[in-house]
Amino acid sequence: MIMLFNIVYQFGDALSFLLLSAIGLAVIFGMMKIINLAHGEFITVGAYGTVVSAKAFNLPLPIAMAFGVIITIIFGLILEKLIIRHLYGRPLDSVVATWGISLIVSQSFLVIFGPSLEGLQTPLGNFKLGDYSYSEYRIFLIFFAFILLGLLYVLFMKTSFGTLARATIEKPEIASSMGVNISDVYSVTFAIGAGLAGITGALYAPTMTVVPSIGQAFIVSAFITVVTAGASPFIGLIPAASFLSAVQTSVTFYYKATIGIIALLFSVILIIRFLPKGFSSLITKEK
Amino acid sequence: MLNLIKKNKLPFISFLILSFFPIFVDSYYLSNISYFMCWTFISLGLALIWGIGGVLSFGQTVFFGLAGYSFAVISINFLGVVGVGIWSVFLALLITSLFGLIVGYFLFYGGIYDVFIGIVTLAITLVLETYLQQTAGPEYTIGTARLNGFNGMQGMPTIGFQELKYGRLEGFTQYYFILALAILALILLYKFKNSKLGLIFLATKEDRNRVASLGYNVQKVQLIAFVIASLLAGISGILYTNWGGYITPSSMGLVSAALPVVWVAASGKKDFFSVFIGTIFLVWLSQMLAINGAQFAIIAMGLILVISTRFFPDGIILMFKNKLIEKVKWLQS
Repeated sequence: MIMLFNIVYQFGDALSFLLLSAIGLAVIFGMMKIINLAHGEFITVGAYGTVVSAKAFNLPLPIAMAFGVIITIIFGLILEKLIIRHLYGRPLDSVVATWGISLIVSQSFLVIFGPSLEGLQTPLGNFKLGDYSYSEYRIFLIFFAFILLGLLYVLFMKTSFGTLARATIEKPEIASSMGVNISDVYSVTFAIGAGLAGITGALYAPTMTVVPSIGQAFIVSAFITVVTAGASPFIGLIPAASFLSAVQTSVTFYYKATIGIIALLFSVILIIRFLPKGFSSLITKEK
Repeated sequence: MLNLIKKNKLPFISFLILSFFPIFVDSYYLSNISYFMCWTFISLGLALIWGIGGVLSFGQTVFFGLAGYSFAVISINFLGVVGVGIWSVFLALLITSLFGLIVGYFLFYGGIYDVFIGIVTLAITLVLETYLQQTAGPEYTIGTARLNGFNGMQGMPTIGFQELKYGRLEGFTQYYFILALAILALILLYKFKNSKLGLIFLATKEDRNRVASLGYNVQKVQLIAFVIASLLAGISGILYTNWGGYITPSSMGLVSAALPVVWVAASGKKDFFSVFIGTIFLVWLSQMLAINGAQFAIIAMGLILVISTRFFPDGIILMFKNKLIEKVKWLQS
């Protein structure tokens, strides 16, 4: 029984990590088709914003987190205006530009804040079950990831803004001739993606050592989850992340962590080969 | 031959300058330039599949690393056997090309396209990196060669004929060998680009289905180009291993995997010569910035990449090349 709970807990932890890694990228790469190699650095900005504001102004954690997210949104908006908007429709060029941005951001944090920040304490407590101790915060993260994804689905699939955003990305010229201010729609959509990455950074800031390269921990998970999620990322994210974390957790349980990562990467290769439209195609029945 | 030079005056002059370099620089710089040129092959391979065929592989480093490790494992196992410094290289390249063939077959005959190719190849290179990182223990040996985990492998012999005076790839020999190999690679790549096969490959970038409906075997052409690219990446890996005398798993990691993509895109992926010069320039630049600029080096590098894609979408080196040829009448053919 305790063993079972242990596995479920590990699974949930891996699942929420994949979901939260991917959630901002699902908007920026999944919807907007920008290969954003700076996605990890958006998360870094969120994490630093949270930790620095919590330390500097002695803010309570939730407010510091909100602060971190707002900083990431502003950061995203500025980047979009300066660089990203010139790269729409040139997805492969975005690789180089966003790689450059990622170098600039992570190195700037190293120069300004040094090799690591004094960490925050993980909020909420621990509870014990048998010999094992579990973090309540990590369980909160699992539920939070699902709620966030639900909100995002509603925003992009059920509201008029969501319709505008999807229409603009699908056919910019037609949307524009219908009177949509496509430049604003792009900006806002990108800012939402950046803000979501900021939320990820803010949420994980108290659980990890905050270093300038913290974003690197998320970037591969983010891309593999979004790609295996498929053409409708908001629908496909949960099945994709569930499958991948099930593979990783079970292999890690029987062997060791590195073999778990290898199994995860292998399953990504196989999913792309045998389910090229991703997990969302199973649900939307898209051929 | 004369016609070839007439048509390509700028590359010819560049190679002439490069071949007289050793007279003017000391052995440290010579070794340094050899190091920059080691990386051109992986870039040229990527320029072939991405610039011509539109296939963006994000994991060329898997062939780089596999070739380096194969060379290390084979040559250490047969240390002292006659000619090991020669045939171990060919064996390692054979292994790399075969792996390229398998990966390419999986990709193109499996109907994997566009960004998915990037993700699959990235996943493959990360698998090998992750596996090799955890091979620190003494149980991970191949024959007598220990894989050594994070620290990587060393202790392989220098490539070449060990008993001849200038027979080994170090110093002058290394420089001229790499330069000659690069020139050969460039000529062959231009030949491929203008051959029937190359033109079909170029057409597949625009419209795969149309090329297929004209009766060409799209997958076969893509596979051939992909194997050539993996072979070129393998050459880079072996030359690098030989240059530094070591190979580590991090040469297949995410950061290493992104570098060739960045070099090729920033140089101008449609032109092999620009990619050759651009790779040397960018590797030199990041090294120079790292030595002189300390912590601001990486920021400067990032700025250069961002500005060059923002204002010179076709690649900064290609733009300079075209400007130069436009201005200097004599360079035009």
